[in-house]
Amino acid sequence: MGRLLKLREAHKTDAPATCSVVWAHDGSHLATSCASDTEVLIHDLSAPPPGRSGSAAGSSPVVLRHHKEGVTAISLGPTAGPLASGSFDHSVKLYSFPGGTFQGNVTRFTLPIKSLAFNKSGSLLAAAGDDDGIKLISTIDLTISRVLKGHRGPVTGLSFDPKHDYLASIDSFGTVIYWELSTGKQLHTLKSIAPNYNSDSSVLNTLSWRPDGEMLAVPGLRNDVVMYDRDTGEKLFNLRGDHEKSVCSFCWSPNGKYLATSGLDKQVLIWDVDLKQDIERQKFEERVCGLSWKPVGNALAVIDVMGRFGIWDNPVPASMKSPTEGVVFNEPNVLFEDEDEDEVLGKGISCYSGSLDDTIEKGSGDFSPISRKRVKKRGPLFDEGEEEVLQEIDSRKRRRESENKRGDGEIRERGARMQDAFQAGSTPPQEGKRRFLCYTLLGCVTSLENDGFSHVEVDFHDTGRGPRVPSMTDYFGFTMAALNESGCVLANPCKGEKNMSTLMYRPFGSWANNSEWSMRFESEEVKVVALGKNWVAAVTSLNFLRIFTESGLQMHILSVNGPVVAAAGSGDLLAVVTHASDCLSSGEQILEIKVFNINEATQTISGRLPLTPYSHLTWLGFSEDGRLGSFDSKGNLRVYSDQFGGSWLPVFSVEKARKSEDENYWIVGFNATKLFCIVCKSPESYPSVMPKPVLTILEFSSPLASSDLGADEVENEFMMTNLQLSEIRKKIKDMEAFGLDVTTLDDEAFSLEVKLDRCILKLIASCCHSDRLVRATELARLLNTQKSLKGAITIVTASKLPILQEKFSCILEERMLDDSKTPEPIPIVRSNRKASNTIQPPVRLSPMMERTPDLNNRTPNTIKPQIKSSPASETLKLVKPHSSIRENLAQGEEVSKDRELGKLEKLATFVKVKGNVTSEVAGKEGSSSATENAKPELKIPINPFAKVKKVT
Amino acid sequence: MAGQSDHSLSIFSAAEVEFIAEDEMIEIVPNIRMDALNLLCGDFGPFLPQIPCKVPLWLAVALKKRGKCSIRTPDWMSVEKLTQVLEAERESPREFQPLPFHYVEISRLLLDHAHDDIPEVYMVRSLIEDIRNVRFHKVESGLETISGRTYAVKLKNLSAMEVNLVRPFMVRVLQAFDKHDSPETVQQADASASKRPQVVDRGLRVSLSCVTC
Repeated sequence: MGRLLKLREAHKTDAPATCSVVWAHDGSHLATSCASDTEVLIHDLSAPPPGRSGSAAGSSPVVLRHHKEGVTAISLGPTAGPLASGSFDHSVKLYSFPGGTFQGNVTRFTLPIKSLAFNKSGSLLAAAGDDDGIKLISTIDLTISRVLKGHRGPVTGLSFDPKHDYLASIDSFGTVIYWELSTGKQLHTLKSIAPNYNSDSSVLNTLSWRPDGEMLAVPGLRNDVVMYDRDTGEKLFNLRGDHEKSVCSFCWSPNGKYLATSGLDKQVLIWDVDLKQDIERQKFEERVCGLSWKPVGNALAVIDVMGRFGIWDNPVPASMKSPTEGVVFNEPNVLFEDEDEDEVLGKGISCYSGSLDDTIEKGSGDFSPISRKRVKKRGPLFDEGEEEVLQEIDSRKRRRESENKRGDGEIRERGARMQDAFQAGSTPPQEGKRRFLCYTLLGCVTSLENDGFSHVEVDFHDTGRGPRVPSMTDYFGFTMAALNESGCVLANPCKGEKNMSTLMYRPFGSWANNSEWSMRFESEEVKVVALGKNWVAAVTSLNFLRIFTESGLQMHILSVNGPVVAAAGSGDLLAVVTHASDCLSSGEQILEIKVFNINEATQTISGRLPLTPYSHLTWLGFSEDGRLGSFDSKGNLRVYSDQFGGSWLPVFSVEKARKSEDENYWIVGFNATKLFCIVCKSPESYPSVMPKPVLTILEFSSPLASSDLGADEVENEFMMTNLQLSEIRKKIKDMEAFGLDVTTLDDEAFSLEVKLDRCILKLIASCCHSDRLVRATELARLLNTQKSLKGAITIVTASKLPILQEKFSCILEERMLDDSKTPEPIPIVRSNRKASNTIQPPVRLSPMMERTPDLNNRTPNTIKPQIKSSPASETLKLVKPHSSIRENLAQGEEVSKDRELGKLEKLATFVKVKGNVTSEVAGKEGSSSATENAKPELKIPINPFAKVKKVT
Repeated sequence: MAGQSDHSLSIFSAAEVEFIAEDEMIEIVPNIRMDALNLLCGDFGPFLPQIPCKVPLWLAVALKKRGKCSIRTPDWMSVEKLTQVLEAERESPREFQPLPFHYVEISRLLLDHAHDDIPEVYMVRSLIEDIRNVRFHKVESGLETISGRTYAVKLKNLSAMEVNLVRPFMVRVLQAFDKHDSPETVQQADASASKRPQVVDRGLRVSLSCVTC
């Protein structure tokens, strides 16, 4: 490295100060700034022939004097976009480029600005500094579109993800935050991963995305540069070499193959990132604080802390690939302007990200020039060096493969890839640690590998009931398992030719000895297993669904439609998810689900399995009551429902439930209203066997749109209760068809109806608050019982809405009319239950409902006739209860005057205690006949059906 | 211990204090399926395997003895937290660190009955013993500072067991000082003090406030 780069003074400074430099996109201009200088300079390089002497062009630069204090940051928009500058004077200004005309002030901060960044399209400018927020400014109308708060120290580096999903920022404490641009949320917070410069303001931490957006470079703590994964924020690898002090600045080559870094040790290094090897270096007199690659050529602009800049031509040796090769240019004609001999263009103008594997291979093909350089450097190490690099390439490939297997989000998003088969509730193998082969609400199957064979243990959570299962030594290397009360099934994939795929079933309790059995598969591999009542299912690589009985009899062999993804069994039902076709071009998978009833040999569900875009299936299973659910990698639980002819309802989203960023939810199961999961602290995404994981219960919540009502919780409850109710009603219907006893279910349905009514009353109350009268009326129509309808009338009376009062009374009247039309008393119990499935509540049969108005009206003897009366005489009496309500309300209005609106909810609970209230009212009003009459009726159980039975 | 000079004056015995502490709530992870228990002190459960729920300590210990649950160690009983507390106790000779009011009793019960559920149980045991010793040493050295002019002693964050040990002694000391300060009331004070030591004569304020945070 004999030649020393000559630097030319651009900014005058007495003390070291942070300076920056940026290239124009066509390489014709260069903009520089310095923190101790108020000027921004635009140097024209194209006017005289581009200098190869290492010095910049001679013509005098355009000077922009708009800042009052030193300029700390500059950033250039895409393709001749505006130039932005930020300064100690707290302002951000925009200029045209390369003309340098002042376009305006973008924003002002309360403290100095330290960092600026444009996004790739130039529509957003991010600015940050000592203020506590990062401002995102739309460059079209210069409005602040978002302020991102989360850093505890001055933000010194910003970088927009080239794919425009994220913004990465770093502060002087060395904390890096990934922000999601669409929501403004913090995705990952990586604390103290970069050097802490909080006490030293002359050095600013920076960070930068690789131009393909796949990784983020951040200065590391050990004089290195560390690469972090785009999506997960995990550390990928680091570039460590000849820097003797911390890296303070770096810049990616336009194609992302090379990285230029400058350290506090006054060196600038050029790295080949794929090989993780430094290929060139240069020492300077002063620390270089600004670096910028020429967008269209092999040149690097550098600026040091004394405000002197220069252009380093050919930092990448001519024998190696050009730093611009493989870049998609915006303007093709630019390509031919610059005729650097080492520019190999048009060979493969493709997106870098699309051909990563390709690049790796090319990297190994282009091997000799690199090793030649290494020979020069440390001659005798040639062989070793080559091997090392080869190994590196190899390990890198392996890593990518394993990532693919894991189904990493990054890979998934980029290349459309179909996910592999998985066993729900299993965790990946870990060296020397026990892993779950299967974890359900019932128990778990764990395995620990030890010297070529493993120990498999089966544990039930409920130690009181589950059988004790002796542990087992497994010579097959089982990786799949399924478990239920009566047994467990284990299977292993084939490993080479010797080790065939085996399926083994162990019953836990059997009257005969040796009832364990196993099956071997030649040239076929078990992919997933499932277990149900008296059957075992396995789906294999030949897309066969093989069904065995509990004793090992081969019962059925079916072909499934595609490569299997997952399977789950419960009772008679077996669900199998397969790939329906290759992924869409956007990367979304197309999965198909079929549910079989094994005992009846029928197919109950067949259709597509919905997934959140860009996610993959991570769990599939049945709840205890036999409902099917699926969970995807974006954390959404969907439950299959018969509504709308069979559809999947999203009932839970991790996004909403997540309490803190570093929690991952590993689903175990669900029931009618709750999700059971294990909370894992990031970065762990799955639980370990020891210590025993503890389940966490999360309530379901629908992905509701945020409504104007401001009662999200109640709305959610409404949705969920409705769903539950419809499920139960369906079950009642099914059971009735078989002529089974449904009393307990009826009880359950009734209590759900009451719950739903309470919820609707709350909604009516909040509708009244926010003046949504039509919605309130609609809600009133949904009320199940007349009792709650009366409660609703009380609510609207209290909130002084006579219109609604009128409407509700009409609804009540209609209800009563409808009721009287239905033939009574109902002779057959079953038809009565049918009625419970309609909106018309079965409750109307209970005299308690009708009693209220009558008691108040002091005509208690109308109760009986009302039930038994013929439709003709009913019309007469219909007026009565209605008018009595009015009277009642008139009385109530006085009482309600002093009631505050806030007590509305209390009113809603009125419904619940109404039985008692009425008796109280009756007692107070002093009519002894009323109390006498009321009392015996109060003994009637709340369940209306019990009453009906007595009647019949 | 040192403070328990006169048994008849001690308000509670150690066993009684422990009995009171057994009403503290603690989280358990049952390994059985059981319906909710409807007890006089409240409803607990339902118990589902591997799903944590909160129960009183006595119930937790009873279930643990039968092997029906594992007890989740409270946050403050981790080695990390206890180390912090111990350090802070040593650093500040005049203050007590905030710990649960019944920390001595709870830790004792857990160490006796649920030692297999506590990670690093030996470390925890020795840390708690150290903390107890440091704190009691503080109490004792604080007693030395009581003089004739002391009318009240304020001890913030003192725990149940600690205060139970020193309360009778301290009250008597304060009363004795007060008595000697005012010789004319000796007769009267003597008579009443022997009967009911807690009775405060002539505006003497004896306040032992135990504030748990």
